Amino acid sequence: MPSLRVASRAKPEARRPEPFELKGTMASFTVLRLKSTDLELVEEQLRLKTAQLPSLFLDAPVLIDLAPLGDEVAALPLGEVARLVRACQMVPVAVAHIPDQLRAAAVEAGLGIWRGPISTRVRAGAEPSSAIARTTAPDSAHGTPAPTLPTQHAGPVVVTTPVRGGQVVYAQNNDLVILAPVNPGAQVIADGHLHVYAPMRGRGVAGAQGLPGARIFCQKLEAELLAISGAYLMADEIPASARGRAAQVYLEAGECRVQLL
Amino acid sequence: MSNASKVVVVTSGKGGVGKTTTSANIATGIALQGKKVVAIDFDVGLRNLDLVMGCERRVVYDFVNVIRNEAKLNQALIRDKRVETLYVLPASQTRDKDALDAEGVGRVISELKEQGFDYIICDSPAGIEKGAQMAMYFADEAIVVTNPEVSSVRDSDRVLGLLSAKTSRAEVGGTPIRTHLLLTRYSPAMVKKGEMLSVGDVLELLGIPLLGVIPESKAVLQSSNKGTPAILDETTDVAQAYLDVVFRYLGEERQHRFIEEQKRGFFGRLFG
Repeated sequence: MPSLRVASRAKPEARRPEPFELKGTMASFTVLRLKSTDLELVEEQLRLKTAQLPSLFLDAPVLIDLAPLGDEVAALPLGEVARLVRACQMVPVAVAHIPDQLRAAAVEAGLGIWRGPISTRVRAGAEPSSAIARTTAPDSAHGTPAPTLPTQHAGPVVVTTPVRGGQVVYAQNNDLVILAPVNPGAQVIADGHLHVYAPMRGRGVAGAQGLPGARIFCQKLEAELLAISGAYLMADEIPASARGRAAQVYLEAGECRVQLL
Repeated sequence: MSNASKVVVVTSGKGGVGKTTTSANIATGIALQGKKVVAIDFDVGLRNLDLVMGCERRVVYDFVNVIRNEAKLNQALIRDKRVETLYVLPASQTRDKDALDAEGVGRVISELKEQGFDYIICDSPAGIEKGAQMAMYFADEAIVVTNPEVSSVRDSDRVLGLLSAKTSRAEVGGTPIRTHLLLTRYSPAMVKKGEMLSVGDVLELLGIPLLGVIPESKAVLQSSNKGTPAILDETTDVAQAYLDVVFRYLGEERQHRFIEEQKRGFFGRLFG
């Protein structure tokens, strides 16, 4: 799945102000998996879909995945695809699985060429007959797609299977509720609050896109690292008194505080 | 016939934990029950399974030859001299893991299914790269071999994540792969002294059903050097442990309730 991970784990320090800030957040794209070259149909359905959840789709960057088209791709007017995506108030940024003969057309349409991996997993039955499909929840380049990925719901993301080492679960613009263990080496990230009602042994991030009010709630706090809105707490900095206990983490004066529940 | 075949990957992430030993013993043990079994060595370039199973002198063609249509499947399959229904498909010593591709591996596995093999045991190489991914890709079930130490457990956890995502079953969105935990090189004495993770510690982290515990034993090294899977010498504790595992595994196929009782009994013995 497409994602960008800017890995700067340093705590903000009282140095001279920097001209920019690199945060350990993940950028996610909406993926438009084209399954039909009937662009009128695609546009019609895409308009319907985006109208249902305008807050989620408005100005969203879109990656156009041509893989499902197979050989039909050769006849695809890419410029027209880019136009229809823009017409639906989204911003097409790149094309994935593009054959060489279409590359020039992509560049002409102002689209980049995506070479990274994309998870093609779409929850079975999510959109049985639709010409488009959407996946969210990115995944680091070497990570494994999460066991449970949101497909199109705007509600909080609920995960009921263990999140294992190497897996990443990201709740974009939302809270993340996890009802199974988060194991060492796993990353669970929410733009809102993060709840883990099981042992939390991996890395957890709340307020990933910058939300100082976000909190992390753990039933059994054994995390490797916790972060809220860019402020980090490493395993060694978690008070021994809170280890293995039910606790919440929140920001106070820019620092992470741990409080027993 | 073909839907009755079961593809089982023996995997771990970490090297040296006992994947090949386990593949050899479980394949032999299941074949001893009259099932037709083949063990495939996916460790292309570092072939070992043929040595552990004592058929290294009869290797002419290998798995990669079959994938590349350089040999027929039946030319590469080696029939075990001790157990009639047991076969080995050896790895190539001269190629590397890039010689494996999903299409070729899939073709060989379907051909084995057509030949009526009941169990196709895939002995995975260490790591999580191509060889390991090819070994797990077509699996219906996985036996995750873990040693009672932190790094092995963590690697197994990573592999469990891959099993739930990077396999044919995960991609199609069907029933997930059934996973079993096999704890090898276990030493209750060391656990007691706090020098080794306990069964409970490992289960707490991995959270998958326990298929069995294989004790640490010299018999494993001796049998591997002799090329005779330990399970064939029933006097050793390792053989008994692997026999337990095989029966439990086959029992699980038939009756779930039975396996739970078995497990409790096993736990009782272990901690009693």
